[in-house]
Parts: sequence; structure tokens; C-alpha cells
Amino acid sequence: MSIEALPTAPFLAVGAAPHYHCGTSIKGMMRNILIALAPAVIGALYWYGMEAARVMALAVATAVVVETLATKAMHREVMVDDMHAVVSGLLFSFLLPAGAPWWLVITGTAVTMLMGKMLFGELGGSPVVGPAVGWAFCRVSWPLFVDPNAMMLNTEMVNPLTQLKYFGVAQASQFGLPALLSGNQLGALGAAQVGALLIGGIYLVVRGTIRWQIPAGFVIGVLGLGGLYYAMDPTMYANPVFHLLTGSTMLAAFFLMTDSTSSPNGCVSRLVYGLVGGLLVVLIRTYGKYPDGVMFAVLLANMVSPLVDMIKPKPFGAR
Amino acid sequence: MASMWKEFSKGLWAEIPPFRLMLGLCPTLAVTKSANNGLGMGLAVIFVLALSNAVISLIRNIIPKKVRIACYIAIAASLVVAVELLMQAYTYPLYQQLGIFVPLIVVNCIILGRAEAFAGKNPVHLSIADGLGMGIGFTMSLTFLGALREVLGYGTLFGHGLFGPDFHPVHFMVEAPGAFVSLGLILAGMNLLSIRKALRRGENPADNPMPGCESCRGCAMGRD
Repeated sequence: MSIEALPTAPFLAVGAAPHYHCGTSIKGMMRNILIALAPAVIGALYWYGMEAARVMALAVATAVVVETLATKAMHREVMVDDMHAVVSGLLFSFLLPAGAPWWLVITGTAVTMLMGKMLFGELGGSPVVGPAVGWAFCRVSWPLFVDPNAMMLNTEMVNPLTQLKYFGVAQASQFGLPALLSGNQLGALGAAQVGALLIGGIYLVVRGTIRWQIPAGFVIGVLGLGGLYYAMDPTMYANPVFHLLTGSTMLAAFFLMTDSTSSPNGCVSRLVYGLVGGLLVVLIRTYGKYPDGVMFAVLLANMVSPLVDMIKPKPFGAR
Repeated sequence: MASMWKEFSKGLWAEIPPFRLMLGLCPTLAVTKSANNGLGMGLAVIFVLALSNAVISLIRNIIPKKVRIACYIAIAASLVVAVELLMQAYTYPLYQQLGIFVPLIVVNCIILGRAEAFAGKNPVHLSIADGLGMGIGFTMSLTFLGALREVLGYGTLFGHGLFGPDFHPVHFMVEAPGAFVSLGLILAGMNLLSIRKALRRGENPADNPMPGCESCRGCAMGRD
């Protein structure tokens, strides 16, 4: 074959990896998370009405606006349509009481987006989960306005965790399983919808948006240490299932601990990471001054995340 | 005279201690809950720094090289005790506010850093100018940081209320994390200013506008 007979156009396409894309995108993940959060939104609207709608809408709107302005200021492409800001804002509003004043919602959401995401260089850079940062900022700054007990004086619901903290186990045992699961407990507007969050969380695990190891580790940690205390003295310490179904435990297990930028990668490390968070929840609730210390537990577990990321399988042949 | 001004003025902006040299961060973070505390701490440091620089510069030729650090510490410690007694006598409320951080001026890196980097090898008049400049820069930084945290955290400035009753103070700012966050934001702001300045002069801005090791000399201490 003479040289002239070869085709002049390249017949082997040469390109850089990756050659095949499975089709998942950040937008798709965020859409899944929003679908998973929908039952809790409905629950919040059912129990708290328009107040909850006001807080959630304000938080989501602020998050989107703040992210857009911040990316503009950073001279970067505005990526707000990946819906991460919507998820962050919604998750942050889930941690607030339904009666939170407007300035608190706006400031807290701005802190969530700026200090929890944009300062670290947008999505994927943050070592901590944004909504927990915003909540911690608000909780330290204005403890009264973040406390559901103080902000929801017109409700007949009771906050199980303050009952446990200040009135002992006997008061805490009045809550039945159906009441706790259906959200008939005073708490942060979204975090209290325990059953709805559980459904959403299971949906996420089934869809593969989050891995099962983190929620499993978290739940094992809460049940394990809580069960240990309960076995030691049932008249002093609450039932471990009570810890699991109150406060923000469920929200943290499925939605905050599993934040993809601040959680570790390996299977074992995910399990350890979840376990650390779960143990810290029970420890903070038992010995700390906060009735619900889940967000601090999440932040501390995030700090451990790079450390547990070092748990890796040994490569074949390595010493 | 010109060289004295040069040594004095470098502490005011170009090498302003906590924000550029990153020295003396312990009092910077711990006592700046209010502008008043920052100012008081800064004044104490000016006194100690200027005098220790002067004394060390005077005796720099008779201090044996091998035990110079111990000598510097002894001189700084005596001056700090003097400041502490003076504060107990004349400004007792401030002394109580600052607490352990007044005696801790002894181990403040600025004192030892300036002694090692400057006073140990320069004549007296330059050393005094350097100490005064660095001290005033330190005072300005602490007062600024204290004022920022006080305004946001308590809604007051030097104890005077600024806002009406509708203002809910951001208590976060006067807690420990507020100190770290505001220090980080100030550093970012200063870097931004430096980069802007370099761009305006048409230079390529450095990745890290902080001055390098030459102004601290902390790592050179173990040698010779």
C-alpha cells in the first residue's frame, strides 16, 4: 500500500481521560437531596404552618443571592444553578425554630454560605459542612433566638431534649415512639420531622447519593454509647432510641454528616467517621451544657475527617 | 535622622507586628474583647519593647553570644514586672481585665524577636525607634481588632453604646472563635490591599505578600 492510499483524516481519536461519563452531576445529586428533603418540608408546613414556610423561603433565597454575589466578587463563573445553594439554605433553615426572626435567618444563611462554602473556594473546598457552621454562629451569638423553647411560646408541643436536660428521664419517657416519629415534638422546624427525614434518608441511600456507612456508623454510635449509659442506670440516662429520634440526630445522620466535601472517602473511614459523630452526640447531650449538641458533634467529626481518611487498604506488596 | 524614621515607620504598616509578622498572636487573640483592653495591652507592650530594645542595644557588645537569649529574657522579665506593678497601682481594673496576659508579655515573640533581629546588632537610637514603631503598630492593631470585636460583639466602642436597643449584639465576635475569624479576615483584607497596590504599580503580585523570614529570625536562633 502506497503512502498516498492512507486516509488523511485521523481515524483514531486521541483524547485525554475520562472517556466515559456515568451521567451523574452535582445538579442531579442536589435534585435527589431536594426530593429526599421534600417529606420533611411537608411535615414542617403541617406542624408549623406559614411560619415555617417563611423561614425556609427566606433562607433559600438568601443563600442563592449570597452565593451569586460572592461568585461575582470572586470573578468566577456563577454556578448557582447547580442548586447546592438551595440545599444549603434549606438545610440551614431546618435547624432554626419556626419563629426565628428575619434578620437571624438572613445573617445565619449568609454565614452558612460565606464561611461554610465560599471562603474555602466554592463547592468542594470546605472542610466543614456549611449549615452546621451557620447554626453554630447563630447559637453562640443569639442563644435565645435559636432556642425553639424561647421562640415558640404559642405552641403546645414540648421539646423532649430540654425536658431531659432540666427535668430528668421521667419527663423524657412521656414521649411515645409515634409522636416522636411523626414530628409531634418541639424542635427546629425541619430537624424535628424525624420520620420524614428517615424516609428521605433511606431514599438517598437507595439511590446511591449517599453511602450507607456514614448514617450506619452514626446510628451505631448513638445507640451504642446511649445503650451503654442506659444499661448502667436507666433512671439516670435516657433510652438510646430517644436520643436517635429527638433533636437533629436524624438530620445530621443522613444529610449533614454525609456532605460530600467534608466526609472521608474510604468505607472503613466513613464508618469510623460516622461512629465518632454518633459518640460525640451522646457525650455532648449527657455532659455538655447544650440540650442538643448534634451540630457541634458534626463539626468536630468533620475535623476528624482528614485523619480517618488516612485509613486506606494497603497496596499489594507494600510493607 | 532619616534612618531613625525609617526604622520607626516600618512597624506602622510594612511590618506591623501581629498582621504582617504574625508575632505576638497570643495577646492579639486573647485580650481584644474590647478596644480598651487592646489599647491597654498595647501600651504595656510599647513600654516594655522600647526599653528592652534600648537596654539590650546598650549592652549588646558585652552579652556572651551563647547565653544571649537568657539575657534578653531576663531583661524583658524585669521590665514586665515593672509594668505589672505599675498597672496594679494605677490602672487596677484594666490589670484585672488583662489578667495573666500582662506577665505573659515576657514570652511575647515580639519582644524576643526584635531583640534578636534588631536590638542585638544595631545602635541605641535606632533600636529605640524600632521598638517604639513596633510597639505603636502593635497597639494600633490590637485597638483596631478590639474595636471591631467590641462594636459587633457588644454594640459599644470604648464602653459607649453605639446602637439602639433593636441591635442584637453578635456575641460570637467576643468569644474565642470570633477572634480567630476576625484575625483571618483582617489578614485577608491586608493581603488584598497589598495585591491591589502591586497591580497598580504594574508589578506581578507575590503569591504570599507576607514578608519572609528576615524580619522574624525565629528559626535562626538555634544556630551559631
